[in-house]
Amino acid sequence: MAAALHGPGPGLATASRTRDRRLWLVTGGLVVLVIGLVLGIALGTVAIPYGDTVAIIIDGIFGTKLSTADPALATIVWDLRMPRVLVAVTVGAGLSVAGATFQGLLRNPLADPYVLGTASGAALGAAIGVLIPIRVMIAGFGLIQALAFTGALLSVTVVYRLSRVGGLSPLTGLLLTGYAVASLLAAGLTMAMYLSGTALRQIFTYLLGSFEQATWEQVLAAAPLVIGGSLLVMTRSRTLNALLLGEETAAHLGINVPRERAILLALASLITAAAVTVSGLIGFVGLVIPHVTRLLVGPNARGVLPVAMIWGANLLVFADLAARVIGDIPVGVVTAVIGAPFFLALLRRTRTGYEL
Amino acid sequence: MHAPSRRPLPFAALALALAVVAGACSSAAPTEAPSAAPATEAPATAAPATTAPTEAPTPSPVPAFPVTLTDDEGTAVTIPAEPQRIVSLTPAATETLFALGVGDRVVGKAQDIMLFPPEAESVPDFEAFDGSAIVVDTEKIVAAKTDLVIAGGNYLTPPEAITKIRSLGIPVVVVYASTVDKVFTDIELIGQATGATEAATAMTTYMRDQFKAIADAVAGQPKPRVYYEIDATGGYWTASDKSFLAEMIQLAGGEPITTGSPDKYDIAAERLIAADPEVILLADAAWGVKAEDVAKRAGWKVLTAVKNNAILAIDDTTISRPGPRIIGGLAILAAAIHADATIPAVSPVPAVP
Repeated sequence: MAAALHGPGPGLATASRTRDRRLWLVTGGLVVLVIGLVLGIALGTVAIPYGDTVAIIIDGIFGTKLSTADPALATIVWDLRMPRVLVAVTVGAGLSVAGATFQGLLRNPLADPYVLGTASGAALGAAIGVLIPIRVMIAGFGLIQALAFTGALLSVTVVYRLSRVGGLSPLTGLLLTGYAVASLLAAGLTMAMYLSGTALRQIFTYLLGSFEQATWEQVLAAAPLVIGGSLLVMTRSRTLNALLLGEETAAHLGINVPRERAILLALASLITAAAVTVSGLIGFVGLVIPHVTRLLVGPNARGVLPVAMIWGANLLVFADLAARVIGDIPVGVVTAVIGAPFFLALLRRTRTGYEL
Repeated sequence: MHAPSRRPLPFAALALALAVVAGACSSAAPTEAPSAAPATEAPATAAPATTAPTEAPTPSPVPAFPVTLTDDEGTAVTIPAEPQRIVSLTPAATETLFALGVGDRVVGKAQDIMLFPPEAESVPDFEAFDGSAIVVDTEKIVAAKTDLVIAGGNYLTPPEAITKIRSLGIPVVVVYASTVDKVFTDIELIGQATGATEAATAMTTYMRDQFKAIADAVAGQPKPRVYYEIDATGGYWTASDKSFLAEMIQLAGGEPITTGSPDKYDIAAERLIAADPEVILLADAAWGVKAEDVAKRAGWKVLTAVKNNAILAIDDTTISRPGPRIIGGLAILAAAIHADATIPAVSPVPAVP
């Protein structure tokens, strides 16, 4: 049993190969992430020499005065591109960790970060924020973001509360309640869109998801929640591994299942809420990156969580880059176009049995 | 799913055009970047030299800048000095700026498939429709050292983009004309913001006079019921209640058939048939709709307009675009509704003294 906790695998040889691969994926992923960051900051509709870009970034971080470039270019690099790339990293990392957590916790391959109604709650909140004709700023955030964050957390809380009554098993209860509440919220969203008139376009933009309007405030608000939440989830890898064996088995292993489940749900929901608040609804990443990761490194949460976090960030950074270079198409479209064929190929190639 | 999904074909073409444009102009801006140190000093010495001669002959008792204006959203916008690098984020604002004679200071504009005037052709697009949303290229606005942005209200320019540009310290004046009178005050607002106050006042005075002349010309005439077809794909799209378009039709001496709600843009076929239009104006003629097709629509042969063959193609842009050309638009509209009346000739673009 102890062996199973640290990595359920068929034998020692495969286990060490998996560990090698995990190391490769983490280090390789970090290298790719750095390349993505550099490209994401260097490329845009205005061409800026690489030397200037680097000087501006160093100036921004260390307060030096290396850059001799036009101050307008500094604004573009530091106030427009940096937050955009960093929000993409944050959202990609957050959604992947949240997706992996929900899939493991609910033992459902179709679970994604939005499974418990976060997306519909956030979307309805944002739509209401669009429809209320006042402009307030709360700590650098508009009403839309504030209500999206509230909506996301509120809907998860409602789903969790409602699911605990009745005779259903906890997992089935959560999934079905989540579905029912999400449907109700979606109806509310449809009604809000119907009533929105000319504001419809703004709601639609939120639903598509975008990093277009990213600001430093958003980075500073979302990154601590996402990174802190992800690290806390990682400290509970052992629990996630045990829960994969079934709740009863996990309980026999000495895990306080209801308590751990509530903590993990709360952490994953907080990460998701932070992500949808700054980017709108970006699908696909949170569902597929955890699966791809598991196909590559096996089901051990110790491997899945960090690898998924890094590659989720990579996918969104490069998808956003592609979206910008091709000419501002919705980033969700790019993630699906890049990710779906890769995922299908991986599914077809896989020879060992794959289960959550 | 109302207004934004109107003309699928042109929008698709537009998205395609955008993709081409985005690919072509990624290396536009920083040609003067290398010699940064002297460049930052140059404007300080050059600015008085260039502004002094132009300011001297103007007998304005109070200096026009810095100026604080209240825009159409009620935001107080302070413009520190006469703007030299203006970005226009609505087609109507682009037309207004050029008509006011400050077109040479416009460094960026909104994409416009019905571009006017032709001189604006050489100004790069800083805002475009990407197939699903309007995207403002903030990077280009910053790189162009923009000192004034004229944006559209009522979600024409995405509100997040306006917030973003303002957060970068660039003044943004938001204009949105929901009535004909607001078109005049918007022209005056843009005039004040760009230091062309006198030109703007002269222009709106002329426009108001022309509006009155046209109204007088159709005053004694009967008021036919007018159906103004914006589009007929996936429903019939026309003027909503109390809209700018409805007001224009009224001023042109017609009785507009409206959708029955101020924020619904499609009219139920039943409501339209029951209203029995006497004149049908096809603004969608530009997209290929013909009078004979309209007459063939199921059940439409009972309509007075169809029986009398009062179905006319009409140039929508001059009528519905809230800019200086609405005087020409009103003249066209009045002539279409009242074939017998003598409509006074107006200059298509109001002259600037």
